[in-house]
Amino acid sequence: MEIKQTALAGTLESSDIQIMLSEGSDGIHFDLTSDVKKQFGDDIMATIKDVLAAYDIEKANVKVIDKGALTPVIKARAITVAQRALDLKDQPNWEVL
Amino acid sequence: MVEAIKDLYLSSPPVKRQWENFLKKRGIDDFASQETASIDQTIGLFDEQDQLVGTGSIAGQTIKYIAVEDDAHAASGARFNQVVSALENRLAEQGCFHLFVFTKPKYQAAFEHVGFKTLAKTDYGLILEKGTPNIDSYRQGLKQRPATAKTVAAIVMNANPFTKGHRYLVEKAARENDWVYVFVVNQDVSLFTTKERTDLVREGTKDLTNVAVENGGDYMVSYLSFPAYFVKDQDQAIAYQTALDASLFKEQLAKPLGIQKRYVGTEPLSHTTALYNEALKNILPPEVLVEEVPRLKASGSDQVVSATEVRQKIKEEQVNDLAQLVPESTFDFIKENQKRLQERILKGQQINGN
Amino acid sequence: MAADERLRRTMMFVPGNNPGLIKDAGIFGVDSIMFDLEDAVNMNEKDSARYLVYEALQTFDYGDAELVVRINGLDTPFYENDIKAMVKAGIDVIRLPKTENADMIHELENLVEAAEKEFGREVGSTHLMAAIESAMGVVNAYQIASASERMIGIALSAEDYTTDMKTHRYPDGQELLYARNAILHAARAAKIAAFDTVFTNLDDEEGFIRETKLIHQLGFDGKSIINPRQVAPVNKVFAPTQKEILNAQNVMAAIEEAKRKGSGVIAMNGQMVDRPVVMRAERVMMLAKANNLIDAEGNYIEE
Repeated sequence: MEIKQTALAGTLESSDIQIMLSEGSDGIHFDLTSDVKKQFGDDIMATIKDVLAAYDIEKANVKVIDKGALTPVIKARAITVAQRALDLKDQPNWEVL
Repeated sequence: MVEAIKDLYLSSPPVKRQWENFLKKRGIDDFASQETASIDQTIGLFDEQDQLVGTGSIAGQTIKYIAVEDDAHAASGARFNQVVSALENRLAEQGCFHLFVFTKPKYQAAFEHVGFKTLAKTDYGLILEKGTPNIDSYRQGLKQRPATAKTVAAIVMNANPFTKGHRYLVEKAARENDWVYVFVVNQDVSLFTTKERTDLVREGTKDLTNVAVENGGDYMVSYLSFPAYFVKDQDQAIAYQTALDASLFKEQLAKPLGIQKRYVGTEPLSHTTALYNEALKNILPPEVLVEEVPRLKASGSDQVVSATEVRQKIKEEQVNDLAQLVPESTFDFIKENQKRLQERILKGQQINGN
Repeated sequence: MAADERLRRTMMFVPGNNPGLIKDAGIFGVDSIMFDLEDAVNMNEKDSARYLVYEALQTFDYGDAELVVRINGLDTPFYENDIKAMVKAGIDVIRLPKTENADMIHELENLVEAAEKEFGREVGSTHLMAAIESAMGVVNAYQIASASERMIGIALSAEDYTTDMKTHRYPDGQELLYARNAILHAARAAKIAAFDTVFTNLDDEEGFIRETKLIHQLGFDGKSIINPRQVAPVNKVFAPTQKEILNAQNVMAAIEEAKRKGSGVIAMNGQMVDRPVVMRAERVMMLAKANNLIDAEGNYIEE
């Protein structure tokens, strides 16, 4: 699906993650800031990628500020930002959950 | 159980007093009306006992007046992150995903830690941005110079409106270089709108094939909130801002775009612009040379051609005198839109600025 | 009524959009965890909180705690999606805020049942509870408490209630006396649990203990709490005395005795032991174990 608008989800508070999703030209591009980038950067990006794939989002720029979020938090924030970017804030996609 | 973010309504005198006292204790003490008037919204962070422990404001797309009292029990920076995050979410709700902050060098790390990128840094302070679109996407949107172009120059102008003096400067740069970027100041606070100014620059330079006319975006002599609250003295404040602007141009544009020279006109008339040229000469070389070109004089006169004079003539309804000051395209536009421009002046549009 | 005799001394409120608190909510030994999608969540973050609680429920281990979610009220645009998401997540209990009458519970029950069918959950497996936050809610407390087989409890929510009553909270709690008793009677008559309201001043531990003693004395199952620091004081107030434990152990022994003899009648000291006494004894034993007051053999552990 095409991204309809840039969207932001999550916060910069401890144990959280802030994700900004905007239209991209080709593929999924990440810009990741995290204190644990070396150990967990790939996992964080993989979790987000899976969610985007579930929404058929193939072109996007993803800016991520991780504050030590665990996987379910990353997943929840990725779902939120995808729903918002697709302008579906109030229409949850139950299959993705 | 958690600290809560609440709106602070500065329109309420007791709230404003509480807010000012909180900031004063943390070394921010300029509450001049031109600074506070630009604030769109202010939030407060309150602890479990409902005490104010943090605040931040948004003016346009700039974060201002941010201060927190660190919590002895939590990780340092936790409250700072919470306030920044809440401000970002509020801007995002309004569809704004791009924000700036001016701050003191000691806060650089705190902002970078939450994803801000430093655009320019001087001894006084720095400017950071976060979000999208940003400086990278701005650069990508600029016209690419041909691969054969070896010497690249740039001119930044407000062109309010485009005069023969501007034309003279662009022509000289185009003659002496393979490629010239002309950046038109984006801020829409002049007699001529940004679109009108840009169109007239394009129109007035369209015969010059190695000139690319671009909007300066948020990155050139932009309005981005004047950080007077860091610096008291007016000249010093100008020096601070022009140094930041010059260093931003050098790091974010000149270096990546291969610009080796920046052309400016000599400035006998405006004190601010003269200080600005000084800042450019201090900061850009040796990587970027500053070519200060003597201003064009009107034919048969000792007066330099200036856009200020053009605006004065419009005000005084002496439009026919303009033929010797502006190129034909600008002249035609002014004649056609004379009424509209005069109405703008009557409505209070200042014409004495730059 | 779905009332099981589990302990519900503490129900801790956890803001639904706060990953740090959600992640750690299971480590404080609370009896119930209430994830809040309502008041603790900003209007524009209702979607984030819903997904966050959903994912947390899929992943984090909350041990034996009963998991409750406070959804947004039925007059909000978030109500139906909150129900669907939480039923799909397999929440134990949905808490409806601002409950005024039994019809609101019926409407909730219909939507919960529809969601259970849609997401393949056993119909009836999602329990309900109601928060009473107005004079009307207090007046209708029994109808609300008995509105559905799914109901496990009702709770007093004093902030909105006192506003509705044109008063506010006072340290001695006189203004809540009627509501507390009305809610408690409704709960007992409907055989479901009764939860008392929160005590928000974390610095006033003495006041908190005083209020907890009062609601314990009245007969509440437990108290709503807003901070892990409030767990231990509540548990202490609810801990049974040595004498109560000894008495309960005797009742349990009498039950064993009756079973061994194959007798349908439980007798102790020449008297019949009836059902409420048995239930109270079971509850005392649960409390004794939860507070680590007896060892494996059933000996009382002196402090």
